[in-house]
Amino acid sequence: MSGESSGGSETSPEMRNISDSNSTANDDVLLSVRDLKTHYEERSLFGGDPVRAVDGVSFDVRRGETLGLVGESGCGKTTLGRTLVRLEEATDGNIVIDGDDITTLSGDALQRWRRDAQIVFQDPESSLNDRLTVGEIIREPLNVHNWKTPAERRQRVRNLLERVGLREEHYYRYPHQFSGGQRQRVGIARALAVEPDFVVLDEPVSALDVSVQAQILNLLMDLQEELDLTYLFIAHDLSVVRHICDRVAVMYLGKIMEFGPTEQLFQKPENPYTRSLLSAVPTPDPTVERDRTTLRGTPPSPRDPPNGCVFSTRCPAKIRPDGFEELSEHDWDAIEVFREVLRERSRTDPSLSERARELLGLETRLPDVEEAAGELFASRSFPSDVQEPIQQSIEAANDGNEEHAREIITAALGSVCDREAPSLLATGRTDSGRSSRCHRHKEEYADPDASGSDSPQS
Amino acid sequence: MGADTDVGSGSTRTGEFREEASRPEGDRDLPLSERITRNPGPAATWAAVVAVLIAAEFGAIVSGLLSVPPWGWVGGLVPGVVEPVAALLATVAERGAELPTITSRSVIDNTGYQTPSGWEGTTLGLSPAVAWALRVAVIYTYSFTWLLVGWWGYTLYRRHYRIPDWTPRDDVVNRFRRHSWGLFGLTIVFAFVVMALFAPVLGPTTVDQNIENPYENRIDYYNDETGQVESIFVGEANGDTQSRGQGDNNVGPLEYDQYDRFHPFGTLPDGKDLFTFMASGARVSLLVGLTSLGIAGGFAMVFAMLTAYYKGLVDLGVVIAGDSIQAMPQLLFIILASFVLSDTWIAEVYNGGLVLAILFGITGWPALWRAVRGPALQVSEREWIDAAKSYGQRPRVTMQKHMLPYVVGYFLIYASLSLGGVIIGIAGLSFLGLGIEAPVPEWGRAVSAGQPYVATQSWHISLIPGILVVIIVTGFNALGDGVRDAIDPESDIGDGGNENVAAGGGA
Repeated sequence: MSGESSGGSETSPEMRNISDSNSTANDDVLLSVRDLKTHYEERSLFGGDPVRAVDGVSFDVRRGETLGLVGESGCGKTTLGRTLVRLEEATDGNIVIDGDDITTLSGDALQRWRRDAQIVFQDPESSLNDRLTVGEIIREPLNVHNWKTPAERRQRVRNLLERVGLREEHYYRYPHQFSGGQRQRVGIARALAVEPDFVVLDEPVSALDVSVQAQILNLLMDLQEELDLTYLFIAHDLSVVRHICDRVAVMYLGKIMEFGPTEQLFQKPENPYTRSLLSAVPTPDPTVERDRTTLRGTPPSPRDPPNGCVFSTRCPAKIRPDGFEELSEHDWDAIEVFREVLRERSRTDPSLSERARELLGLETRLPDVEEAAGELFASRSFPSDVQEPIQQSIEAANDGNEEHAREIITAALGSVCDREAPSLLATGRTDSGRSSRCHRHKEEYADPDASGSDSPQS
Repeated sequence: MGADTDVGSGSTRTGEFREEASRPEGDRDLPLSERITRNPGPAATWAAVVAVLIAAEFGAIVSGLLSVPPWGWVGGLVPGVVEPVAALLATVAERGAELPTITSRSVIDNTGYQTPSGWEGTTLGLSPAVAWALRVAVIYTYSFTWLLVGWWGYTLYRRHYRIPDWTPRDDVVNRFRRHSWGLFGLTIVFAFVVMALFAPVLGPTTVDQNIENPYENRIDYYNDETGQVESIFVGEANGDTQSRGQGDNNVGPLEYDQYDRFHPFGTLPDGKDLFTFMASGARVSLLVGLTSLGIAGGFAMVFAMLTAYYKGLVDLGVVIAGDSIQAMPQLLFIILASFVLSDTWIAEVYNGGLVLAILFGITGWPALWRAVRGPALQVSEREWIDAAKSYGQRPRVTMQKHMLPYVVGYFLIYASLSLGGVIIGIAGLSFLGLGIEAPVPEWGRAVSAGQPYVATQSWHISLIPGILVVIIVTGFNALGDGVRDAIDPESDIGDGGNENVAAGGGA
């Protein structure tokens, strides 16, 4: 938490300095991630924007804790986990453990990290080689790292099988003969074979039956206690995260939106994104009335994240620019949707055939801006300072210049959320270790409605 | 932990699952030799049967194994050191060939002549046709016994010595056993392989006597006019037994000629025995076919593993190399290259067979590689490859252990399909008078020789080799089909695997 609670860590220069951040780190910090970026297709043959799967992430993992990583699918949480175990190459930033930067390891040092850090995969159907016996599968890491003698390896595999709730004689069975839950136990046994310190659990239960999920989670918690493991638990199921994690990081579009101790974060989420995420969790009690925040649209493409706050295109608590307070919620929503349409259009590079269709006056796949605007604004009347920029931008879009259309509307109706990326700010009580990435946390933008008084999950 | 609640689910899926079999617990983890020592009964019985089978053919096996390498050529490579060893091995091979075996020509001799009192010279005075048929029957019985003993050994191993009760391969084997079309293919292919292996003893006469050196060998025959047993050069006799389509100039299938020689397939236009020619030709076809497939398959598999594992530029490079080769017309390129190489030392190995094998191999790998590239890429995307990488497994081991087993099945399918294509290709080249040097028997040359007589009573010269080629290529295709259905791609690589193999076709 040393990095996070200070706020804005990815922009502050001292955070780039490994030794510096190390000296200030707590003793119980196992792993420090600093400004980590993992982009795909960075050096693509044909240029184009890289996919910013992880785009500037910083946090610490404490020894012995379970750190949860939650977010919608596609937010980059799996990529982050894979980068930590070096299945993906980091584009920028550091992952520091004991003064070593994981992202630059090679040779023997890398091989040591491949022993100290393990990963449990999401789909047990795909993560086990069906042609090998369960014993061979679990033994393979031991063979790779030349662990003791072959006889001792076999004995260790047997012990591991027992330890994860299987039986010794399953050594010579094949994965085909096991159920999903049992296969995941095999996957866990394989990850634990070489006595790692740090285990990335990449949605380890989401492919399993609900009845089996609890068993696997309990097993993981028992193993953690017994073997002194540190977990990075990746999940999209919030109730699972609440059950198992000590601290939680909420990710959206490659960035951490909120970070803090699990119970506090679930009881009193600070970030608008966390709030909407939590409000989507169903409660078992149908009589409880809650405000459900349903998010509009889909996350933007990680190839082209928004300029300001990454969540600005969908945020229910987005800050309005001064002078537009009179506009109704619905009117403002319509404008936001219209901006989303423009965004969609400018993002899609029309293909050759689409360009040809456009030239020939045929209908193209992309939504027609004028049509969309007509639908959105049909029954609405706006004051002239809103109506004018909208009209101008529709015209610009009709000329095929979506970029310009967006500029017009952002200049007139955009707010700080569209212009500035918020940094992670410490929230809550000073020693709570919580932080959140939102402009609303600054006093000048504080939202009277969203002061955090509502608790979606009590 | 509730882990046992669904142990049984495996049994319903595989149908082969048994609770820990009767094997004692102590057998776990022991090497195979230890497991056999603890329960020697089944293995000993099996070994005894195998020993009998080997003893029955000991001489032939020794000479057969040792005569495959061209010793004269090997010795010539490094004179002094290797030469004596090579010469010794060649001698051992010759001596071995002299040892009697149950399939020797001398055990059931079909060469003799008919006197008014009966057959002279043949075993037990049988007619040459019966004696020859008997020998063929013995050879095939012996061979198929080997096949059964091999299968029996596998089942013994499975029942008594293998530690897992069930492996994924068991399902493959079981599916193949129920696949009658595949079994038909296997039978044909096996019969063809036996024909190639036992070529020297299968024919009613030998290549040396009848085809290569007819003027160095004499045969006895009974002259009706003089009433005497006379001797004649094989070459002269052949001159009188030609099949040239008109008048009496024909010796058809299953006929005797005037020198009392039996010709199961009739004679060639120059009077030589067609069956002997075919049996020996099978050997050449199979040898060249398998060698070329070994070369092509080696390239294909290595490239498939590398391109699937590393992707990107490696893949692109191999794609370009493969496309460049495939852009050339294969047969024309082979004709040109074999002509260019015809005066070099390499053209003399196996009468030009090695050159053909290499050329077919070099031009054939891109097709094989393309066939296995899809499955290889699919496997490389599976998470267990990532898992292997995450705990630091070396790329070579990952390819070998986690990718190759999933691709080998596909490779076998395409290999069996393309082997038929290679056999047709070799025959086609010989038909054009290229490839294997005359007078070494090659099927295509028989088809070519019989071409002018197709519409005459000597139709057999072209037709029989042609039909045999068709049957054998069909057999290889059937075998490939059977293997494809047996490996059931759905259970291995996931959806979509089916289409990848459905469009197989080598010839």
